[in-house]
Amino acid sequence: MLWLKKGKKRIFALGLDGVPFTLVKKFCADGTWKFIDRLARSGALRQMEVTLPEISAVSWPSFMTGKNPGEHGIYGFTDFKPQSYELHYTNFQDLKTETFWEKLGQKKKLCVVLNQPGTYPARPIPGILVSGFVAIEIAKAVQPLRYLAPLRRMNYQIDIDTHRCRSDHNQMFRELEHTLKVRQAAVEFFWDEIDWDFFEVVKTGTDRLQHYLFDAVEDESHPRHLQTVSYYQKVEDFIRSCWELFFKGRSADQEGEGFFMLSDHGFCLTRREFYLNAWLQKNRYLEFEKNPPEEIKDMKKNSRAFALDPSRIYLHRKSRFPHGFLNDSQAGQLREELKQKLLAIEWEGEKILQAVYFPEEIYSGPEIQRAPDLILLSRHGFDLKASVNKTELFGNSDLKGMHTFDDAFFWARESDREKLHITHLAEIFLKQLS
Amino acid sequence: MKGFTLWFTGLSGSGKSTLAHRIEEILLERGMKVEVLDGDVVRQNLSKGLGFSKEDRDINIRRIGWVCHILTRNQVVAIAAAISPYKAVRDENRRLIGRFVEVYCKASIDALKKRDPKGLYEKALRGELKNFTGVDDPYEPPEHPEIVVETDKESIDESVNKIIRTLELMGYIPAGESSEDYSAEEEEKIKKRLKDLGYI
Repeated sequence: MLWLKKGKKRIFALGLDGVPFTLVKKFCADGTWKFIDRLARSGALRQMEVTLPEISAVSWPSFMTGKNPGEHGIYGFTDFKPQSYELHYTNFQDLKTETFWEKLGQKKKLCVVLNQPGTYPARPIPGILVSGFVAIEIAKAVQPLRYLAPLRRMNYQIDIDTHRCRSDHNQMFRELEHTLKVRQAAVEFFWDEIDWDFFEVVKTGTDRLQHYLFDAVEDESHPRHLQTVSYYQKVEDFIRSCWELFFKGRSADQEGEGFFMLSDHGFCLTRREFYLNAWLQKNRYLEFEKNPPEEIKDMKKNSRAFALDPSRIYLHRKSRFPHGFLNDSQAGQLREELKQKLLAIEWEGEKILQAVYFPEEIYSGPEIQRAPDLILLSRHGFDLKASVNKTELFGNSDLKGMHTFDDAFFWARESDREKLHITHLAEIFLKQLS
Repeated sequence: MKGFTLWFTGLSGSGKSTLAHRIEEILLERGMKVEVLDGDVVRQNLSKGLGFSKEDRDINIRRIGWVCHILTRNQVVAIAAAISPYKAVRDENRRLIGRFVEVYCKASIDALKKRDPKGLYEKALRGELKNFTGVDDPYEPPEHPEIVVETDKESIDESVNKIIRTLELMGYIPAGESSEDYSAEEEEKIKKRLKDLGYI
C-alpha cells in the first residue's frame, strides 16, 4: 500500500455508459439526483456529440484516443477481415492509435483504468487496467496480472449476465446492484495501490438497464419505474463516494477541480427497429444464395450493397471484396443513389433518417479506407439493425432503448467549450496533466 | 504457409525500407521464409543501368514484380520496398502476383524535406538531381491499398503493428505468441453477449 503524494495534480474521470444528457437534466430537475444537481449548478454540464456509429465499440476508442474512427480504425463491434466476407470481432489490438493513457505514460504519469469498454484483452498500460465490456475472462482483463487474485477475492464481476437478464429483470436488478458494489470495492482497493495521476472508472450497468427497460425509466406509470429510479440513486451514491474519496483532505476552493463525468452516447426510447438488409433486398441491391441466410457471406456474387450493425452500408466493390461486383465509378454512382433512396424512407409519414454520410464527410485519417461506404444516422426512436434473416422492414423486439449520437453528457468544474465532442476529452485530460 | 508479396510504395524517405526490414525480422522469427527487395539495392544489380525516365522506372518495377511473383509462387514472403510511383505498373504487379498486399507509406512532402536522411530532397530542390519523385517527377498514390501508414505521424512501432495485424487478419501470417485474438469459444460468448444487447 502506498500513500498518495499530497498536492499532486490528479484527474478522476467517471464514465456512465449510455446515460443521456437529457436524463441527467431530468434527474436533476425532479430531485432524483440531488448531488449531481448541485454539481450541475456549480459546474459545466454539457451535451456532447460522439463519433458514428454511436455505439460503445466506437465511442470509447474515440474517447481513449481523442481520434475519430478514420484514425483509430474501429467502426463497430464487428468488421470485415481485409479482402474477405468473414467477420472479425474487433478488440483492443485493433486500435490503431495511442491512447491518452499511453501518452501520459510517456510523461511518466500513471493511470488506473477500471471497467473500460473496448480494452479487452487487456494489454499493459502505464499503470493498471481492468477491461470492461466485451471482456469475458477476468484473467485476460487485468494488467498487471498480479491484480487478478485480489479481484477474484472481491468476487469482481465484469458485466451482468446479459442473456439471463434480458428476460429476467429481477435478476438484472440483482446483478446491477452486485456490479455496482464490486466496482465500488475495486475503486477503493486500487485507490492507493499506485501513485496515480489519472483514475477512471466506467459504469456500464446504466446502458444495460436502458436497453432492457428504458420505457420504465421514462414512464412513471411503468411497474418497474421506481426500481429503475432507485438504481440511478445508487449510481449517484457511487459517484458521491468517488467524489468524497477524491476530495478528501483537500480545501474547499479545490472542490470539483480535476473531477470529470461523461457518457459515451445518449439513449432514447425505441419506436421501431428498421432492418437495413431487408430493405436492400427489397430494393434488389442484395440477394442471398440460401434462404434464410445466416451471414453476409451467404449473399450472391452480384449483390451490390449490404449492411453491418448498426448503421453501416458497404458497397460490393471489386477493390475491397474478393468477388466484388462494382468498379469505383459504379460504386460512386450507387452511393449517391442509395443516399437519396434511404433519406426518403418513412414510417407512417415520418422520415426515419436524419442523415446519410459518406466516409469523407465524417472521418479522416489513414483508416478511412476501411470505413463503410455509407454511415446512416437515424432520427431518435428508429433503431437501425442489420440482421440478415429479417424479411420485414420494420419491427419491434423486447429491447426498449436505443443509442443516440447527440445526447451524451460531460461534466467538469469548468469548460470553455460550449459544444463538446467525445474526441475533445483526451486533449482536455492531457492539457490538465501537462 | 503460402507465400505473398508485401509491396511498400511511397516517396523517397517515407520509411519503406525501414518498415520492410522490421517486418522481415518479425516474419523470420515466426518461421517464415522472407526476401526483401529494396529498390536502392535492386538498382545496383538486377536493374543496373536503368535510369529514372518513366519507361526505365516501369521496367524496374516490372522486374521487381516478376521476382516477387516467383518468390510468392515458391512459398516465400516477398517484401518489395520501392518508390514505385506509377499506379498502372503497381496494379499490373498485383494482377500478376495475386497474393499481393500494398502498403502505402504516406508522408507529407514537407515532413520528408525536413527528414531527408540522404540529403536527396535538398539536392533535387537545388536542381542538382533530376527526375526526383515528389519534386519534379510525379507520384501516383494508391487508391485502394490494403494498408496506409502515415509515417510522418505514427511511430515505427505503430506502423509495424498495423501491418502485422492486417496480415494476421488476412490469414497471410500466423498469429504471434503475444497475439491477443479471441479463441473460438470466447468469440461465441462475445457474439452471444452482443446479440443479447441487440448490437448484432
